Amino acid sequence: MSPYSLEVAHANAAAIDTVAFFAALADEMNANPDRFSVLGEAEMDAVLVMQSDDHDFCINLRFEGMRCDEVVEVLADVVHLADFCLEGSLSAWRAMFSDIVENGRATGMQTINALTLLGEEIKLVGSDPMGIDKFSRFNQTLQEFLDGAVVAFASTMKP
Amino acid sequence: MKVDPGTYESLPDVTPLGSALDWKWLRGAKSEWGVHPKPSPRGLTMLDIAVGEYGEVPEHPTHRSMAPRGADIDPDTVDMGYILNRKTDVWADNVRELYEEAVARQWSATRDIPWGELQELPDDIEHAMCQLCTLLTEVEMIAADLPAKWMWRMNHDFIEAKMFLCTQIMDEARHAEVFRKRALSNGGGLLVSRSSPTSLLRTIMEAKTYTQASALLHLLGEGFILDIFRMGEMISPTDVEKRMFRMAMQDEARHVAYGTMHLRYAVQQDPDVAEEIHEALDHGEQVLMDFGASPDVATALAVLLGGGVEYIEEKGFPLAFEMNRKQFTSYLARCERAGVSRLERTTVPLDFLGIDPDDIRRAGGVSLGANASAS
Ligand SMILES: [Fe+2]
Ligand SMILES: [Fe+2]
Repeated sequence: MSPYSLEVAHANAAAIDTVAFFAALADEMNANPDRFSVLGEAEMDAVLVMQSDDHDFCINLRFEGMRCDEVVEVLADVVHLADFCLEGSLSAWRAMFSDIVENGRATGMQTINALTLLGEEIKLVGSDPMGIDKFSRFNQTLQEFLDGAVVAFASTMKP
Repeated sequence: MKVDPGTYESLPDVTPLGSALDWKWLRGAKSEWGVHPKPSPRGLTMLDIAVGEYGEVPEHPTHRSMAPRGADIDPDTVDMGYILNRKTDVWADNVRELYEEAVARQWSATRDIPWGELQELPDDIEHAMCQLCTLLTEVEMIAADLPAKWMWRMNHDFIEAKMFLCTQIMDEARHAEVFRKRALSNGGGLLVSRSSPTSLLRTIMEAKTYTQASALLHLLGEGFILDIFRMGEMISPTDVEKRMFRMAMQDEARHVAYGTMHLRYAVQQDPDVAEEIHEALDHGEQVLMDFGASPDVATALAVLLGGGVEYIEEKGFPLAFEMNRKQFTSYLARCERAGVSRLERTTVPLDFLGIDPDDIRRAGGVSLGANASAS
């Protein structure tokens, strides 16, 4: 049995379509400037959309400098205002975060670049190619941010 | 601090050895004095100091010297032989931002790649990765040589554009370094180099104008390479290669961002430039398609995309085709953004690739996901 199986089970069951979860990811980033200062400053507005039967959860993440300073749930009709938007089913996002928790970071086809390049589970969309290209310009920062789920899950899972 | 006008009047006119002295810089140069740019939260950036006259980039600089823009410049400065003397020749509205981003996001191919985590790979995968790295090592330096070829011809008043191109040159050196290191670090080595990459590189190098060169390099060539890096990350066998491609991808996207906005600026200021760009891309697209179809590139990518030689027919080639479609979709979308729509003129076989021009044209969004549908 994998030593991570409990955490993975938590990741699968966790409410990732919440502001609290992304606020925990932002806290993890902001508490670890060393991890991000080697990557340098980033400036981007990214919207993540998690689609499920009952509703689409849309969260806007604003990255400035070495921080994620804004975590705001937004309505589906304003997601085009972000630089880019990452859209996928809730189950696809769960699979991505489970992989991060299991391996300590995203691996194989579960990195955010791989998922969006394949585009079957999670799509990279936007109204401006320059905004879409920010996904590439700040990709390692975004990946490190998402990889923070390892810690964010541990903190949000505590009873 | 205000100084009494008479304070500097009694200074000597000659040195102790008899040479003439001039205190103009102290007694009142004509340049703007007393500027107080405010540092932004990240520090004092090039955007912060673009204040007053210092922030004004002339459309047609009057000097041809290396005198700094905004200084009190002698009218008889030496002509440095610049031939790119119109702002539209080199400028992009995002160039200061991109310079700061480039400086802030430099990385080390020695230190920032976890080389210690390399793993022994199946023989075909190691060969394919080494072949891809051979190709990338070869093509990366064109994106250093090309800016270098033109930079010394750019008027010095466009200093921010030249500074950005300096960062690009450093980025490309690091890309050549990291791919060479990968090829040599895991029991493999450099593999085959043939003429088709060189034909592409030569086409870029021989462009007649800088704007044509920028269209071929930044928009077409580097856009294509950016997508190869994205592909490389997706099919990387370990985190070593994943990080290598992700870090390179970040740099490459900056180069594409400069080129896209340079072309846009050039076309906005002088619509006639569009034809010049189209002519370069007419030829460039053909050479690029030959390059993409060259046997070493196509086979190495198919092996990596398929996950081994045994899967090339079933998975490798179909996925490579899909990636090709995405590369050209991204390229055509960037052309739209640059104001040089290629949809009516491109020689890329859109039907064959399954690219619907309306999806790219349609206002409101371009999806670079699975089916390139507008969103
Ligand atoms: Fe490069
Ligand atoms: Fe580049």
